[in-house]
Amino acid sequence: MAARARTCARRRVARRSSWLALAAALLLPLASAGAAEVIPPAGTVKRSAGGVTIDHAGRTQALQVGSPVFVGDRIRTAGDGSVGVTLADDTLLTAGPNSTLLINEFEFNTTTEEGSLLATLFKGTLSVVSGLIARQAPEKVRFKTPNVVLGVRGTEFIIETRGEGE
Amino acid sequence: MRKAGRLCGLALLLSLSGCAPLSDRVVLLPGPDGRSGAVLVSTGQEEKVLSEAYADARVAGGRVSMQKTSAGMVRDDYGALLAMQPARPRLFVVHFDAGTSRLTPASRALLAGIRSELATLPAGEAVVIGHTDRVGAVDANDRLSLQRAVLVRDLLVSAGIAPAAVVVVGRGERAPAVVTADEVAEARNRRVEIKLR
Repeated sequence: MAARARTCARRRVARRSSWLALAAALLLPLASAGAAEVIPPAGTVKRSAGGVTIDHAGRTQALQVGSPVFVGDRIRTAGDGSVGVTLADDTLLTAGPNSTLLINEFEFNTTTEEGSLLATLFKGTLSVVSGLIARQAPEKVRFKTPNVVLGVRGTEFIIETRGEGE
Repeated sequence: MRKAGRLCGLALLLSLSGCAPLSDRVVLLPGPDGRSGAVLVSTGQEEKVLSEAYADARVAGGRVSMQKTSAGMVRDDYGALLAMQPARPRLFVVHFDAGTSRLTPASRALLAGIRSELATLPAGEAVVIGHTDRVGAVDANDRLSLQRAVLVRDLLVSAGIAPAAVVVVGRGERAPAVVTADEVAEARNRRVEIKLR
């Protein structure tokens, strides 16, 4: 019943975009209360300088030290920006200026240290220090740019890409 | 990307399809212990492995050409990027007096240092990881290792560390400090690690 009422409410709201923000604010707590488990963040911002924003759940916000980073988030740095993120498995991701980084997938079981990581660097530079997932199962860790796919065998490296079609 | 011109010349020699601009670069770095792992670079057209420190893959038009860079050139090209890396995790290990839930004197002394070390880290986190030996069932050891971690978490919190900065993990008997056969009691494996990051 509750689920159907919520769906109906969603449909009505969808027709009127001005209600979207309010509806999201009202519906999200209901939706997460119904979920079995709250999804933990993939990582935490540890360093940040200059202009850094994050696209999270359809909204763009300034990114600060201490901010959580979730799967699906897109981090963007301005010409003066750079950012360092530590993922839950100790992977260190550092993006330089004019970069766009998407965390496509991240799962990590802290008890078994099993998981997977896929991230895409659309443009810019990224330094990677691989973490516990790569130590346990390197084939589960991948990085992409618009032009290449990188498989990681437990290591440190830098990726630089000009982006698509170049 | 400053070697694009030279790379184009090389690409032209290798293929008659023309001079594609450099699209990507991948540089493998040595780890803190001097060893490097490996990275597999795949385009739609080819696949190359970087397995030595400072291996430098340049991608243009879907082709990968392998070069070699150096510590100095990496510093020139990426020094500012590497200077922004988050701190590497640091690990501390605490032990308990035999058969008790009381830390050894040496481990108690360690806790004070951990608090000041954590305070130096931006958005610092303490991941408290409990371990057991192989006496008992895997499930029971998972619970026991978590209990040990919670105990140390409580000690850290009472030492003044913010509860929100502490995460507990129970690894059970999966990661022994000393490898033993099953059902062997081993004090060195009944430990808690505190990882600061």
